[in-house]
Amino acid sequence: MRHAFEIDATPHEVWLGRESGEYILHLDNERLPVSLNLDDQGHGSLRIDGETVPITLARRGDDCFIHLDGSTWQLRYRDPLERASALAHGSHDDDIRAPMPGTTISVRVAPGDAVLKGATLLVMESMKLETAIIAPRDAVVVSVRVAVGQAFERDALLVEFDERPAAQPTATPT
Amino acid sequence: MTTWPFDTVLIANRGEIALRILRSVQAQGLRAVVVHHALDRLSPAVAQADQAIELRGSAPVAAYLDGDAILDAALASRAGAIHPGYGFLSENAAFARKVQAAGIRFIGPSPEAIDLMGDKVRARAFVAQAGFPVAPSAIEDDDPSSFSERALQVGFPLLIKPAAGGGGKGMRIVRQAEQLAGEIERARSEAQRYFGDGRLYVERYIENPRHIEVQVLGDDTGQVVHLFERECSVQRRFQKIVEESPSPALDAATRDRICSVAAGIARRAGYRNAGTVEFIFGQGEFYFLEMNTRLQVEHPVTEQITGIDLVREQLRIAAGEPLGYTQDDVRVSGHAIEYRIYAEDPARGYTPTTGPVLSLRAPGGEGIRVDLGIVQGQDISAAFDPMLAKLIVSGRDRQQALERADAALAQFVLLGCRTNIDFLRRLSRHPVFVAGDIHTGFLDAHPEVAADVSPSPATLRRLLGAAALQTRPLRDAAEAIPALHAAIGGWRN
Repeated sequence: MRHAFEIDATPHEVWLGRESGEYILHLDNERLPVSLNLDDQGHGSLRIDGETVPITLARRGDDCFIHLDGSTWQLRYRDPLERASALAHGSHDDDIRAPMPGTTISVRVAPGDAVLKGATLLVMESMKLETAIIAPRDAVVVSVRVAVGQAFERDALLVEFDERPAAQPTATPT
Repeated sequence: MTTWPFDTVLIANRGEIALRILRSVQAQGLRAVVVHHALDRLSPAVAQADQAIELRGSAPVAAYLDGDAILDAALASRAGAIHPGYGFLSENAAFARKVQAAGIRFIGPSPEAIDLMGDKVRARAFVAQAGFPVAPSAIEDDDPSSFSERALQVGFPLLIKPAAGGGGKGMRIVRQAEQLAGEIERARSEAQRYFGDGRLYVERYIENPRHIEVQVLGDDTGQVVHLFERECSVQRRFQKIVEESPSPALDAATRDRICSVAAGIARRAGYRNAGTVEFIFGQGEFYFLEMNTRLQVEHPVTEQITGIDLVREQLRIAAGEPLGYTQDDVRVSGHAIEYRIYAEDPARGYTPTTGPVLSLRAPGGEGIRVDLGIVQGQDISAAFDPMLAKLIVSGRDRQQALERADAALAQFVLLGCRTNIDFLRRLSRHPVFVAGDIHTGFLDAHPEVAADVSPSPATLRRLLGAAALQTRPLRDAAEAIPALHAAIGGWRN
């Protein structure tokens, strides 16, 4: 099973091998010798396929933050087993998640409410700006996971919808 | 040499501006006292202060708004003056009065000037009466019952603004009559919560205007000079991202006119200390927008081209010194551009981001100034404004400044919390920006600047190589293979 890193939600598969004392990066159809030389602050150089470039790298959990070629990147390591499981279950459009960290200003729905696409579910505040969280589809509210005044991080679960009916037409006019 | 009537200055702010003020205070041989919330304990301003006082018992933002606690800290540390920075208490006339009543100097204008300019409606009326240009508007206070009707008559698109507001908070653009009632309701709710005052006004929204502002300084003797303009047209959510001086849009005659109007408004208001008069500029015409009665975030671009330390001038004026120079003595040289480094994700609607600062290395060199408010190891939280630092580049002309900016942004390392640094570099290289052909709708008109960029094939190989070597499961797998080699002998992949 291959390992993968996600960059902006796009997965990239890799494999690392070792031959005669050096590491070899295996990509789709490439095999590249690679070595990394970092000081204790994460600054240093990367040598790959005969080229050496300056690099800064920091790790936190599954995230690898890299400054390279004048830009900053975040690579998230995805465990092969978790990936396989996520692919099998499909996406979670039953979960309404926070687009940014913030605080709940008001909650406009309760469990059991039927809402139409475009309805305001709750109003949040972030960076001194109010933002309405809108229903992305017609649905029945299963649960509301935040209370007024509650602070949350980005991607926090705010509202849970019922499962999308399998036969529902996808071309809803907007 | 200035003879200071105070030897200690309390800085009632945080982040980069607290450190920037502290530097000028200490450079005058004065003691700098910094108040701070516990979350800011590790900040560079606290580390470099002669005395740091923690504000207890309040939520993070509320701590810096707690005028009584700050005043107590000033008295306890024997501060003779308080510098409020920008935001927080900087435009709070009641606080300025309390400070004065306690026998401490408020480093800013008189409370009366803050009152006049802080109420956007009164400020507009004052400026219009004095014969300076303002945009068509409807003011709720004139007759609250007919506000909606009068707003409709201003015409669309229009902009709803809080009467007590500023800094882009609570402002809403309305393009269609049917949206008006809902947007008024939302703007009022925001205004009520942020300014404790739900009164509104609407103004004709000028599509694709430029935002141009003029720095002014006034002293106790009534002398006022301007320090030329700043172009602040690159904005998102009405908040500035990049500012520069001189403006690429103004010819000499227009520059002279707009700067003279700004100085005239300040003079008419009897303005003392540093202030900024903001204008909307489009099709060769300009309208008064508002006056900010404080130091601006973007003041460094003015400092870079005039060679005048604005905080030092603020301290001197607060000490009762005359400016000591006239308008003709204020000269500009070269070009300066400021880039605001925000903890935010431009590709996702510029939403704020959070995280620890795992690695931090700011660029340096000729023409590079970095006003930094964070240190490595600090956590960026959503509790405060997302601005982390400012990169100010200067050069003999705009082109040289842009070249230096490109190199400096490429070298700016901040890992652990997503920032807008890469976005700023794309923006700074954008042909329309390079041509200076910008307006406040520039980023909406060019959404590609904010979009995520995929790594090039060469960069992708490097990223995956580095990440793979730093990820334990991949290293473990790699280490396991030689053993396999040994077991089966002669096998090659």
